[in-house]
Amino acid sequence: MKNLLEIKNLNACVGEKQILKDFSFEIEPGKVYAIMGPNGSGKSTLSNVIAGNPVYSVTSGKMLFKGKDLSKMTPDVRANEGIFLGFQYPIEIPGISYAQFLKQALTSKMKYLGQKPLDAVAYIKRLKVRAQALGVTDEMLKRPVNVGFSGGEKKRMETLQMAFLEPDFCILDEMDSGLDVDALKIVADGVNLMREENRSFLLITHYERLLDLIEPDVIYIMVDGHIVEKGDKSLARKLEENGYADYK
Amino acid sequence: MVMQTINKIISANEKINDVLMNQSGLLDVVVYENASYDLNLLQAGQSLKVKVSLLGQNACCTLRTVYLSGTDADNKIEFEVIHAVEQTNSKQEIKGVAAGFGKADFYGVIRMPHGSQKCEGSQSHKALLLSDNACIKCTPELEIYADDVKCAHGSSIGTLDETYLFYLMSRGIDETTARQMLIKAFLLSDMPQAFETEIDKWMEANE
Ligand SMILES: Nc1ncnc2c1ncn2[C@@H]1O[C@H](COP(=O)(O)OP(=O)(O)OP(=O)(O)O)[C@@H](O)[C@H]1O
Ligand SMILES: [Mg+2]
Repeated sequence: MKNLLEIKNLNACVGEKQILKDFSFEIEPGKVYAIMGPNGSGKSTLSNVIAGNPVYSVTSGKMLFKGKDLSKMTPDVRANEGIFLGFQYPIEIPGISYAQFLKQALTSKMKYLGQKPLDAVAYIKRLKVRAQALGVTDEMLKRPVNVGFSGGEKKRMETLQMAFLEPDFCILDEMDSGLDVDALKIVADGVNLMREENRSFLLITHYERLLDLIEPDVIYIMVDGHIVEKGDKSLARKLEENGYADYK
Repeated sequence: MVMQTINKIISANEKINDVLMNQSGLLDVVVYENASYDLNLLQAGQSLKVKVSLLGQNACCTLRTVYLSGTDADNKIEFEVIHAVEQTNSKQEIKGVAAGFGKADFYGVIRMPHGSQKCEGSQSHKALLLSDNACIKCTPELEIYADDVKCAHGSSIGTLDETYLFYLMSRGIDETTARQMLIKAFLLSDMPQAFETEIDKWMEANE
C-alpha cells in the first residue's frame, strides 16, 4: 500500500546542533504507530520538523506526505493537507479564546479544501459533540487558549483540537503525560473512535500503559536521532523490562 | 493641520467616560474632588497631548490608549498627569503597534508635587514592532516631591511571538490571519472592544 508519510535520510538541526541524523521511516494509512526512545533522542524534534516548526532547519533528506514534498509547505498548508501535531508542551496564548481559535482553524481548513464554511449551528454542533466526549466544558472553550489550564487539561484540549479538525495524520507527543487515569482512558477512547482506514496515528510515549489503551500496529525505537528498531507491540514490554541499554 | 485645544472640566462627584479616536492638539482636563475621568483613546497617526490635573481629593483618572503607527502615519503622544492635591489616583495604560516604516513616540509624565501625599500613580506601556523598519520610543518620567506616595511605571517593546504564530499556523491558519489574530489579541486585552473595527481596518491596510 502507498505510504501516507515517507521520510528518507532526514537531517535536521536546531542552531548548530544536529538532532535528526539520517532519519528514515514510513507511515502507512490506517495504522497506529508508536515511537519510544530515551529523553533527548529527538522525538519531539521529529514531530516539530514534520509540522514545519521554523525553529528547526532541515539540512538534507526528504519528507513526502501523500506523495507531496513537505519541505516546500508552510505549517498551515501542512495542517490543511492533514497533518496534526498534539504538542508535548502546548503553549498559552492570551487574548484568543478557544472557541474563536477553533472556528478560525476550521474555517481556514475548509477554505483550503475549497469547501463552504460551516454555518453557526453546524459549527457549534461539531464542537459540542466532540467537547462533550472529551469532557471539555463550555467554560473551558470560552477561556483564552490554554491560559491557566492544568497540564492534563492542556493535553485534553490538544486532543479536542485533533478530533475537531479531523486530520489524516495525527502525531500525539506524550499525550499521556499529565493525564490522570480517568482522563487517559477518555482521551484514548477518543483516539480509538477516530481510527479509520485513511487515518494514521503516531504516538510518542515513554510508557506501555498508553499502548495498552491504544494498540499500535508498529513500534519504532528512536535513539540519537534515528530509528534503531522496528517491531510489534511486544517491543514495549521488552523496553519496560530492559530499558534502552541494548541500544546504546 | 489645525491644532486644537479641548478643555474638559469634571466637576465634583462626576464620572465621565470618554471614547475618542484620532485626536490632535491638546486635551486639557481638570478633575475635582470625588470625580473620575476615564479616557479611552485610539490614535492612528496624529500628534496629541493629554494633560490631566487632579485638583480635588479622591479625584482619579484612567487613560487607556491604543496607538497604531504605519508608514506615513506616525504617532506622537504625550501624557501629563498632575496630582495637585493629596489622595488622588491615576492610571495610564498604553498599548501600541508600529508597522511598515511607522514611528511612535510616547512620552508620559506623572507629577506629584509637595503636598501630594497618599497619591497613587501608574503607567504601563506595551508595544509591538511589526516590521524591521518600524520604530517606537517610550519615555516615562516620574517627578515626585512627596514622600508618602506610590508610583510605578513599566514599558516593554517587543515583536510578535514566533511560538504563538507557529501554534496558530500548525492548526491551519495562514500567516497573515494568524498575525492579525495575535495583534488584535494584544491590543484589545484590557482595552475597549469599541476599537475592534478601527483595528481591523488598520490591519487590512497595514499588515
Ligand atoms: N529549540 C531547541 N533549542 C535547543 N535545543 C533543542 C531544541 N529543541 C530540541 N533541542 C535539543 O535536541 C535534543 C532532542 O530534543 P527532543 O525534545 O526532540 O527530545 P525528545 O526525544 O522529545 O525527549 P523527551 O523524551 O525528553 O521529550 C535535546 O538534546 C534537546 O535539548
Ligand atoms: Mg519530547
